[in-house]
Amino acid sequence: MIRPIAVAALFCAGATAVNFRNVAPEAGLTDSIPNGGAQSKKYIIETTGSGAAFLDYDNDGLLDIFLVSGPGGTNRLYHNLGNGKFADVTKEMGLEHTGWGQGVCAGDFDNDGYTDLFVTYWGANVLYRNRGGRGFEDVTAKAGLKQDRVRYNTGCAFLDYDNDGHLDLFVANYLKFDFASAPKPGENSYCWYRDLPVACGPRGLPFDCNILYHNNGDGTFNDVSEASGIAKPDHNYALSVLTGDFNHDGLTDIYVAADRTASILYINHGDGTFKDEALPRGAAFDDNGKALSGMGVAAADYDGDGWTDIFRSNFSDERETLYHNRGKAEFDDVTLAAGMALNTRFVGWGCGFLDIENRGWKDLLLVNGHVFPEVDRLGIDVHFKDRAIVYRNTGTGKFVDISESSGPGILEKHSARGAAFGDYDNDGAVEVLINNQNEAPTLLKQSTKPAGNWVLLKLVGVKSNRSAIGARVRVTAGDRTQSDEVRSGGSYLSQNDLRLHFGVGTARRINRVEIDWPSGAHQVETDLEVNRVLTVTEPRP
Amino acid sequence: MMRVISTALLLTALFARAQDDALQKGIAEFNHGQYAAAQASLERAPDSPQRRAFLALTHAATGHCDTAREELAAEFAKDRASDLGRLTGLALTQCMLAEGHYDEAIPVLARLKALHPDDADVLYQNARLYMKAWNDTLYEMFRKTPSSYRVNQISAEIFEIQNRYPEAISEYRKAIEKAPAALNLHFRQGRALLLESHSPENLELARHEFEAELALNPADAAAEYETGQILLASQSPQEAVKHFERAVAITPNFAEALQALAKAHLDAKQYPEAIVLLQNVVRLQPANESAHYSLMLAYRNAGRAADAAREQAELDKLQKSPQGEFTDFLKKLGEKAPKQ
Repeated sequence: MIRPIAVAALFCAGATAVNFRNVAPEAGLTDSIPNGGAQSKKYIIETTGSGAAFLDYDNDGLLDIFLVSGPGGTNRLYHNLGNGKFADVTKEMGLEHTGWGQGVCAGDFDNDGYTDLFVTYWGANVLYRNRGGRGFEDVTAKAGLKQDRVRYNTGCAFLDYDNDGHLDLFVANYLKFDFASAPKPGENSYCWYRDLPVACGPRGLPFDCNILYHNNGDGTFNDVSEASGIAKPDHNYALSVLTGDFNHDGLTDIYVAADRTASILYINHGDGTFKDEALPRGAAFDDNGKALSGMGVAAADYDGDGWTDIFRSNFSDERETLYHNRGKAEFDDVTLAAGMALNTRFVGWGCGFLDIENRGWKDLLLVNGHVFPEVDRLGIDVHFKDRAIVYRNTGTGKFVDISESSGPGILEKHSARGAAFGDYDNDGAVEVLINNQNEAPTLLKQSTKPAGNWVLLKLVGVKSNRSAIGARVRVTAGDRTQSDEVRSGGSYLSQNDLRLHFGVGTARRINRVEIDWPSGAHQVETDLEVNRVLTVTEPRP
Repeated sequence: MMRVISTALLLTALFARAQDDALQKGIAEFNHGQYAAAQASLERAPDSPQRRAFLALTHAATGHCDTAREELAAEFAKDRASDLGRLTGLALTQCMLAEGHYDEAIPVLARLKALHPDDADVLYQNARLYMKAWNDTLYEMFRKTPSSYRVNQISAEIFEIQNRYPEAISEYRKAIEKAPAALNLHFRQGRALLLESHSPENLELARHEFEAELALNPADAAAEYETGQILLASQSPQEAVKHFERAVAITPNFAEALQALAKAHLDAKQYPEAIVLLQNVVRLQPANESAHYSLMLAYRNAGRAADAAREQAELDKLQKSPQGEFTDFLKKLGEKAPKQ
């Protein structure tokens, strides 16, 4: 009898106060990250950056922070000191780099036990090999990842698409851009926003195509974009990447949020080829069959039916999009029915599902900010800097917007882009790292510890890739089973904690953890303790 | 004698050639926009229908419509299909518009448009005709009835097109205060509120406006439909369905309302019912991408893969159409869905 009462109390909307604060200043994250014009923007390249990452680069069990920068500064790596503070170690770790930095993704591509980094640019991407947690080495050329022309690379993700135990690499490409030929604000009909001359595009600018690199297992990669079918389609303005086995066939598929064009769902056919099936599977458009301006993407089994659903953030005057997976990767746009149709004044970017109160249901947080600083001159309810949005999962397939009551950190206004989700202090509550344009980052932390119990699962692959990317996990605690998947990339050009976080409410033990490893191995662990980080290593073959 | 005659003949021939040269020169000068020179050359040329036509065109081009108009009308009446007929017709309408004779210009432009449907100059003059008529009527309206609610209404509609929604809302409000029983004001006010924002506050305000419109005119299918859409966004799907059903009862071929009803069936997993409604919508509006998309998903969800593939192919064809943005612009003008 005690348990149902406790659960009911947790589900009651006002029962638990959600109170996010921005703790970036006290954590030492005070340096501004430059990214194009702050008052006005002349080119589209100034509008799209940049991502953020939580990763544990030195395997000390604490998440560190990586922030991608536009020109005028360097990307930054902050080491987690373990006392709520971070120290800038960019220079000593060999990560100083300037340019039009866009996205970041993490994964142990050489299976040496240390997480490597890939950073995308308008210009030339960089693959950083992690040298045992003591520094990073630019191995782009050595790995065969040098590009033969300037490309507008955006989102990225490591994935093992052929399940050979070596992480391959997907890189989204936005469009073809160069300063010399790009039209100027007001120059053509695609350079206006509500009667304001603004940076042109993406409409009117030429498309590019996405890239897939196959990991040869010897530290090198081959570009297999054409052979794999990834280079088709080639008429989408691709931004964020979300990997996942959406149809449960044991193969990793790829979803790509595209701006002003149809989003892409590459279904992995298991023979080294992919096909975009977003349209017939219902994940290309909104429920009116209209292409929206997809920015960020997140995945979760938000309704507990065992299938991975997709959330996509979009532009202002558009709804966000929640695609419910009705099984086997067939999606329905349920945005309206789920209660997410009202926030149409925001331009959404980084987004992620997280169990804020550890109730056993994934809530959603997304960050916002318009692309054009000029929009503030209009005096309308669309702003260059805006607050975040928090949706509370009611557990009935619906969400309630609790942004206004979720604390000052949510209400702070920034022109946010990338957002990474992870528990940097291992206290069982997921924090959010946000890369703001031309400002210091935001680090959202709850002021009080969530009431529910939790578990953080760190998976270590043996036959599978060491990062366990692609491993699918089902956690049963009490009468609920939740599922998730280890994935690289995601959100908006960002990297979340590679560990999986599950809130389990009032359950005092985890009944069962089932893992489907990319190698095909199936592992079951039972009767595990809650409120701790559990490391699970893939059984040796 | 012979010499005198031959000299006279030669002089006559030279004079005739000079006169012919003057006509060609005048036409060339007209074509180059050198109207003063053209007028001088054409006045030197001997009288001919061509001379009279180009002289009239020159007069019209230099703003002397009073001199030109009779000749232009005569030439246009003679041969409307020729290039000269097209030029004289255009000049004639230009003169009529300049003099404010819109009623006379309308049939001339209609004939020109029928004969030259793809001609940029003809289409431009048509657009100009309606723009000038609009401007003059608007001026007249503001001058003669400045306090009427219609002035507020037209001001609001102009603000709407300019994306100035707060001003539009304010003007509609004034119009409603002056004419509380006038039809369509509450509907437009509701639309403007929705165009301004989809915030919960605006949704609520807009719903009240559509309900007020329905109180004045219970047979307003569009207001029923808009109310349903707001209720849908506000998480009241069952209430929304009642409004969509009423909209369809009032206007059985109201495609958007039929589609909204179909979506409600889709949400309820009632795929056969949704399919019947959507098939009706695509029959009414074969180019409705949204309906084809919904129908494709309905077939898919019903397990009718071949039908879904056919709809996908149809959708693919439609989505290559370049008219999307202009259609969106037209939608933004806020007109009610036409009765089908």
